[in-house]
Amino acid sequence: MLKNFIAIVSSVFFCAAAQAAEIRALVKDQKGKAVADAVILVVPVDPRNALHAHAPAAAVDQVDKQFVPYVKPIFVGSTIRFPNSDNIRHQVYSFSPAKKFELPLYSGTDAPPVMFDKPGVVVLGCNIHDWMIGYIYVSETPFFAKTGPLGTAVINDLPAGEYTVRTWHPNMDRTEESTIQHIALSADTPSVAEWQIGLKPTIHVPRVSGAASADYP
Amino acid sequence: MRLRSCLAVGAALHNVGMHCQGPRTFHKATPASAGALLVLCVACHTARSDWVVATAASLSHDDNVGDAHNHSDMVPDSSTSATLSAFDLLPVGRSLSLVAGSELSGQVYDRLDGLRNASIDGLLSLKKKWGIGAFAAWSRAQVSAARSDYEDGYRNVTIYRASLEMGKRLDERWNLAAGYNFERRAAAPGASEIYGVSNDAFSQTGRSFTANAQYALSDRMSLSLGSLLRHGDVISTALTAGHYYPLTDLKAAAPDPAFGPTAYAYRLDGTTYGIKLGANYSLTDHSLIGGAFQRFDTHARGGNNYTNSVPQLTWNYQF
Repeated sequence: MLKNFIAIVSSVFFCAAAQAAEIRALVKDQKGKAVADAVILVVPVDPRNALHAHAPAAAVDQVDKQFVPYVKPIFVGSTIRFPNSDNIRHQVYSFSPAKKFELPLYSGTDAPPVMFDKPGVVVLGCNIHDWMIGYIYVSETPFFAKTGPLGTAVINDLPAGEYTVRTWHPNMDRTEESTIQHIALSADTPSVAEWQIGLKPTIHVPRVSGAASADYP
Repeated sequence: MRLRSCLAVGAALHNVGMHCQGPRTFHKATPASAGALLVLCVACHTARSDWVVATAASLSHDDNVGDAHNHSDMVPDSSTSATLSAFDLLPVGRSLSLVAGSELSGQVYDRLDGLRNASIDGLLSLKKKWGIGAFAAWSRAQVSAARSDYEDGYRNVTIYRASLEMGKRLDERWNLAAGYNFERRAAAPGASEIYGVSNDAFSQTGRSFTANAQYALSDRMSLSLGSLLRHGDVISTALTAGHYYPLTDLKAAAPDPAFGPTAYAYRLDGTTYGIKLGANYSLTDHSLIGGAFQRFDTHARGGNNYTNSVPQLTWNYQF
């Protein structure tokens, strides 16, 4: 009996000790409405806290002539595949300084993966379907997440320590740097980071433009 | 009967506006359009192809359907039209693409039953994009052949069109395009009672220049402005036969019973100036509704000047 009690107490103790820190982020717009697709970036002040990070492969699909997901955060050095789930071909490109590339017309999973080796925002487009637009955020930190429909995101398994946190959104009316907050993370309690950001009105190339028939660009 | 049915046709040919290229009846099936369809089918079987299917419906009103000069001859009427189109993109090179497609359409008039028509159209276009991306300038050469069959068969016509267009999206808000269009409409000659004047009143040839601008007010709402300059044959229908025009100005004349038992259609040489104001609202990513107003001012030989005012409501869906 005593032996079991000691085992339970020990396991609880060690679990607590091994528990990593957590950040709960919330992003709202100027009207207090939840902002989805905002990227939350957590940068350790001590770079040793990110030493063992790796860059997993990821994918940005094309579904119903749209990039899915609309915003994809990745760690620098990651490769991304661009599978095409539509039954038509796409011609994916980017002019962004962080990564310039072009995938010739392809269907299915024929396109080779693309490595993103420079931090920054990469705007995706399709040369056939001009309305298609997507964003890849290439993060210099391995600790990041993207807000969901409720404007929330959770980043856990963070080593305790000092961090700066910031957010980015495609329609944000300010710079990323202006959103920087400093946070000290401990394993005891989750930290909370909140932002209220202004969003610029978006104007996208229309998918249907008034033609009676299909209109290819 | 000219420029208005272009609403549907012109819209089919381009996205931002006014594309009236002559008589406004609809496209129809001919050996030529069958040939275009054949090309399309062959292409589909020989290469990976990207089909797009779209449909549209519109309601419009024309205050002068017969393009009459005299107020007493003017016949206003409303029409409903529907269009189903299927287009296939066949990439030829890195920035060159061939589009082949076909379109079925129908138009029903509220009062003028004889003008009900059904059409089939086949087209081929070659488009060059001068760069990569949504803001690259583009140019396009297009040919099409169509056949329109009317309730009153004497108006049946085969339509051949060719156009050169160019355009550029300046930014997310502004989109500009301009084009030159040629159109030949070949109809069967009708019965004529005017000695010495051709009875081929429903065949026409015309050339036009168009310029269109579209401005996005928001992500869903856009405004458009289009302009048209057309020169060529016009058909003006008077409700009673008579010497409305000097014979030397007439190119052809024939009875036009769709407008009444004594109506006569006169083919003349004329110049048309047109303007179109429109607004579109995207209901979803795949559909939009739009409203437009077109105004045409035509000056034809023999002092046959007339105007048309055409408000229109449209709905478009692209699958």
